[in-house]
Amino acid sequence: MEVNWKKCLLLAVLLGLLVVVPLATDLGSNVMNVMVTLFIYIILAQSWNLIGGYTGQINLGIVAFFGISTMVTHFLWKAGAPIYLAIPAGSLSSAVLAALIGLPTLRLRGMYFAVGTLALAQAAQTIVANIFTRTVAMPGSFSTTYSLTPRYYLGLGLMVVTMIVVYAVTRSKMGLAMVAIRDDELAARVTGVRVFKYKVLALLISAALAGLAGGLYAYVRLSFWQISTVFSAAWTFDALLSVVVGGAGTLFGPVIGSIFLIVLSEIFANTMGQAHLIIFGFLFILVVLFLPQGLIGGVDLFRPRMRGRANRHKEESAHQTMSS
Amino acid sequence: MHALIQTLLIGIVVGALYGVVALGFGLIVGVMKFVNIAHGSFIIIGGYVAFWLFTLLDIDPYLSIPLVMCAMFVLGLLLYQLVLSPLLKYPRAEMRLDKSLLVTFGVTWILDNAVTLLWTPDTRSIVTSYSGSTLDFFGAKLGVTGLAGLILAVLVALVMHLLLTRTYFGKHVRAATEDAGAAALSGVNVQRTYLVSCGIAAAMAGVAGVVIVSSYSIAPSGGLNWLLTAMVVMVLAGEGNVTYILPAGLILGIVQSISTLFVSSSYQQPIALIIFILVLMFRPNGLFARVGR
Amino acid sequence: MLEISNLDVYYGDLQALWGISLSVEDGSVVTLVGSNGAGKSTLMQAIAGLLTPKAGSITFDGLRLDRLPAHRIVKSGVCMVPEGRRLFPRMTILENLEVGASTARKARQETLGWVYEVFPILEARSRQQAGTLSGGEQQMLAIGRALMSRPKLLLVDEMSLGLSPLATQSIAQVIKGLNESRRLTILLVEQDVQLALSLANKGYVIENGRIVGQGDAKDLLCSEEIKEAYLGMGKAG
Repeated sequence: MEVNWKKCLLLAVLLGLLVVVPLATDLGSNVMNVMVTLFIYIILAQSWNLIGGYTGQINLGIVAFFGISTMVTHFLWKAGAPIYLAIPAGSLSSAVLAALIGLPTLRLRGMYFAVGTLALAQAAQTIVANIFTRTVAMPGSFSTTYSLTPRYYLGLGLMVVTMIVVYAVTRSKMGLAMVAIRDDELAARVTGVRVFKYKVLALLISAALAGLAGGLYAYVRLSFWQISTVFSAAWTFDALLSVVVGGAGTLFGPVIGSIFLIVLSEIFANTMGQAHLIIFGFLFILVVLFLPQGLIGGVDLFRPRMRGRANRHKEESAHQTMSS
Repeated sequence: MHALIQTLLIGIVVGALYGVVALGFGLIVGVMKFVNIAHGSFIIIGGYVAFWLFTLLDIDPYLSIPLVMCAMFVLGLLLYQLVLSPLLKYPRAEMRLDKSLLVTFGVTWILDNAVTLLWTPDTRSIVTSYSGSTLDFFGAKLGVTGLAGLILAVLVALVMHLLLTRTYFGKHVRAATEDAGAAALSGVNVQRTYLVSCGIAAAMAGVAGVVIVSSYSIAPSGGLNWLLTAMVVMVLAGEGNVTYILPAGLILGIVQSISTLFVSSSYQQPIALIIFILVLMFRPNGLFARVGR
Repeated sequence: MLEISNLDVYYGDLQALWGISLSVEDGSVVTLVGSNGAGKSTLMQAIAGLLTPKAGSITFDGLRLDRLPAHRIVKSGVCMVPEGRRLFPRMTILENLEVGASTARKARQETLGWVYEVFPILEARSRQQAGTLSGGEQQMLAIGRALMSRPKLLLVDEMSLGLSPLATQSIAQVIKGLNESRRLTILLVEQDVQLALSLANKGYVIENGRIVGQGDAKDLLCSEEIKEAYLGMGKAG
């Protein structure tokens, strides 16, 4: 296995900076806020990257796994659990939800999983909006002791954990299976890959990561004017946009994409308010159609790799013409 | 007895609407193997067009249908030309389907946000002089708007059926549905067939929107629910079977309605979901699978 | 007259045909022989417009075909009977034929009459669904569908595939008849080398994506190389 020393050094330096700089100088709460938000986005984007970018299953309702963790984390923390336990618990709840939706829908064709997850997220939003009609807040003591610093470092830590998890999974046997499923599910199945098992595993891990993001968000946000917003489709869209723009199926694509998204958001949200969402929509479509490999040059989502492609074309043509 | 007839009537009216809602969605999936996540948004937009024609120009919603259909037809053409046709370069059907999921998700994001921005998140509905009137039907009450919706649904389904079976365009659509490559080899301009089909699908979504805004209400975020309904009905009818969509819708509507005799009406959505999952598990080719092959 | 000049065809990034050059005179029957995977069907698909060549040209009666979409190629008089028939199984025989007439709608009643003459069984079963036909009947329908476009050049890709020897013979007779009575030009790709060369006037031998031989069909049939390479294995058809 080739290890790119230059890259590792660069990463180490970056990480070092991220750790040390906030300790050395006061960056101001604006910058710290943006950084923490960035961490949340990166984690959520990586979550989608795992199930969508690497395994090729389009999850249009990833916010469901995000939101449920936010809520579980919030209520556990409010009830007295330390945040270091509440967040993993939230993440676990995401995984459980993933199992519930994944087991029936992952056996089906891609479109049913996509619409199924979409439906789940929508249902969650509706149900939560109906149950929690008033502000969901933390007791005053939490607000008075609020400090961005621990949140920044927890966020940084969770982000690093996420990157490590994604790295480890994609370099493992499971990672190979995931990519095989994405590139050609039928071929993977006939060559013995346990397709369903790996799809479910990928979804569980993806959901757990989304749960980390959700838990972190609960820690950062404290109170919610309207808690159903944690199930808003905007989270899903942002995650999708980050991954597609950055480069799906790559380790750093979602990171680049998230940075890109945050930067653009800052620029546009100030100048055009609500309308910036529409611009992002166009951007998303343009990227999917004309720059499917993203900025980093990741895998064109669902385009099989070079070697195999030609053989598959031939197979397919033969396949097509053979059917009568 | 009254209760039973009333229940059936409601089921038929609702089911007919389900059918119209699903027609456009099912057509696109069947012919081009693309999933249009924005279908729900199209329905809502159709409703808005009717709403504004009514509110600003006093045009009766049912009379505005031709206008709505024209506007939506153009929207459908645009959808195909700008967003879906670039996907044809991918040779594999799964790839195209997945890409269409992504791309139409983007479209729905744009449309829903644009609609919210333009016309606020408020719920709208059209109330005419006859909106509240009901007719007597063997002791049960049938709303005028419900009846209108039912008639429209049957008309649309009939026209669709005739189009598919009696016209050359329809034969092109069916041929492309079964084997697009062979259709091209037989001289069918498959891309043009896709283009027009998309327009027709959007036009039908428009009709659904008009019925919905007249009988119920619309809001920018309402599209998703109708998309889900469309998908369930399509599965019941069997993918690619546009002809069975109205019957499938009716069945769903009636079953849901009858279920309210036994359980609380808040269970209607889960019941639809259960039917959906059962059909996918045991009759993946639709309820009518044995017919037609 | 079909002229193919220096054609390169790729599947994605993999090259399948190298510098193919051949010609088909009006009114003749030309056959392509070669082992499995040699590129015969690839070439047919390129001519019919399912594949776009990367280099070279395909010309028919002076018109460049290689950049045209499939349906336009049909309109210009070149129609393929695809490998494996590729009928529309849930449509009736009549509907299949009608789709075949997409580019020649005005004359379709007349053409239909002619096709029914050639294949009376299609008329008898016209309301039957194509998917329920036997192999031989399906092949007839596939040819009939192609004929509905009133082609000047008929491309026949592996007509004997999945057919009984009897059915194959009868189809072969029809092909021969179409050529003789209607001067329909035919380009034939066929596994059964013996059959192919007996039907054709001229033959091209293709191997590994390149033309390696050509000549009069009768000469090829007698050639030692062909006999060794193909007829030893070809008898199975």
